[in-house]
Amino acid sequence: MEDPEFPGGEAEAAYQPPPTWMEKSCMVICEIGIVAMAVIVIAEIITRNLFGFSFEASEELGGYIIIGITFLSLPVSQVYKAFHHVMFVQERMSPRMRTISHIFFDLLSLGFCLLLVWQLARFTMQTYKAEDVSMGFLATPLWIPQTLMPIGALAACVSLTRALIGNVRRLRATGR
Amino acid sequence: MELAFQLIFSFGVFLALLAVGMAVPYAIAVPGILYLLMQNGLTAMKGIGLVTWGSMNSFTLTAIPLFILMAELMQRSGLSFRIYRGLAKAVSRLPGGLLQTNIVGCALFAAISGSSVATAASIGGVALPQLVQRKYDRRLSAGSLAAGGTLGILLPPSIAMIIYGSFTETSVAKLFMAGVIPGVLLMLMFMLYIGIRSFFGHAVPRGAPPDGISVLTAVGDVLPFALLISGIMGSIYAGWATPTEAASGGCAFALILCLIWGDMTWAHFQDAMHRTVQIVGNLLFIIYSAYIYAYAIGVAGVGESVTHWLIGLNLSHAEFFGALFLLYTVLGCLVESIGMIVITVPLIYPVLGNYGIDPIWFGVILVMYVELGQISPPIGINLFVIQSIWDGELSDVVMGTIPFHIIMFVLLGLLTVFPQLTLWLPGQMQ
Repeated sequence: MEDPEFPGGEAEAAYQPPPTWMEKSCMVICEIGIVAMAVIVIAEIITRNLFGFSFEASEELGGYIIIGITFLSLPVSQVYKAFHHVMFVQERMSPRMRTISHIFFDLLSLGFCLLLVWQLARFTMQTYKAEDVSMGFLATPLWIPQTLMPIGALAACVSLTRALIGNVRRLRATGR
Repeated sequence: MELAFQLIFSFGVFLALLAVGMAVPYAIAVPGILYLLMQNGLTAMKGIGLVTWGSMNSFTLTAIPLFILMAELMQRSGLSFRIYRGLAKAVSRLPGGLLQTNIVGCALFAAISGSSVATAASIGGVALPQLVQRKYDRRLSAGSLAAGGTLGILLPPSIAMIIYGSFTETSVAKLFMAGVIPGVLLMLMFMLYIGIRSFFGHAVPRGAPPDGISVLTAVGDVLPFALLISGIMGSIYAGWATPTEAASGGCAFALILCLIWGDMTWAHFQDAMHRTVQIVGNLLFIIYSAYIYAYAIGVAGVGESVTHWLIGLNLSHAEFFGALFLLYTVLGCLVESIGMIVITVPLIYPVLGNYGIDPIWFGVILVMYVELGQISPPIGINLFVIQSIWDGELSDVVMGTIPFHIIMFVLLGLLTVFPQLTLWLPGQMQ
């Protein structure tokens, strides 16, 4: 089902854009986020059990990190083909039909991500104007973690656009 | 009627996009957005920001990347090979030899990975070359690995249970504990089948009796994992740690194990981190897309309509279970595993109370159906994982899993008749 090596896969790969600094940076930020999350939670366990006090921030920070990973990993998953696909229809398509279907998927996905950029940026701006802060110990201005959402969605738009261009080039090539 | 049409239309779009090969998270999100547009046009979009923040800013979900990182560390440093090697010696005299090792190895790796794919890939990658070399029955070998891999989401920690818990606000710790007895039972039933098949058939070579040194080496190979698993599960069971805390501690302990016993280099560590981000990115995006779909269902008020409709049918317990059985068996063949949970739970969960169904029990049953889906053609992911490692015929893998399907249906029946098999252990938690 996922990541199959079906006939024509090599030709497809030739038109797929390689990871750029943007996707690599997003990946590194996500990796730092995961390690930071583990460190924060372990520090919380140690201080709570050995020294009897709690930072009372691990849940809050953990939530922000998950938000960040969810959106910043979008371009990473796109460019490294980490999203799951059901392939049994794709495997039976001609290379040209497969390319057309990919262009269709890219356009739909791009439309969705553009909508996310619009709505998430609007939401973050509202929070910024309202000067909302978290209820927790840190009293974090909420627009700071929220900014990761439109940034990640925007980065996904860039990756999807590059994938779309690659697929259009492939369609032209298969049409000749 | 119009609501029903819109729901069926959006679900149809979802199935169509999924079937023709669109990335699963987008195949869930796009129909969700279409559904919202059908309801209130662009006005309905205004809630997306709040839904995004409210649903994904979740501490429950933080356990997912940590458990996946733990499994990736073990896999990249070659420790899954040590599990297999140790177990192969320990169970070599059982009828079925290395096939028994497949099942126990999968169960053991499941208890540190939380993922069926990771389990099937890790143990399958080590086991299949040896099974082929020793001329084990091809179908039984592939079937045991594909089915054994499904233990990954029933035995705790389970990514599927974390996702179910985050959608239903059910205790993830209790869900984990609820999976222990069914998971162990399923493992024993798989082993019994292999034992019977090997005892009466001629498809399976028997291993040589282990000597004292072999036994000691086997214990040395398996002991670190036993300690890791007992540390994670013990701390959750005793109430000392939340699943996220157990996962964080598990990551640190796994890293130490990999440095001492495994081949953990900086390159392997980076590789594990890269793979973790990619796997987590896919999973979190599926969850997020499902929240958008659930939001669309909520805006339309379909959830309430479906609940009222289901209650209005006045089904008996048996009929309701029968309907669930039919629904999830069919969906398991059509819909990607996590997608199946996140799409159906917002609709079905509200009805459970009316039928007196325990949400913990239902979570385990749902995970069992997801397991079945993972070895059901045409999209069962474990079938493809094993085939890609094995380089054999997919039909052989499919045929090899059929007896394991039947065993899983038997266990589903047992859990339905004796719900205490699921509910007893969480009831004992502190």
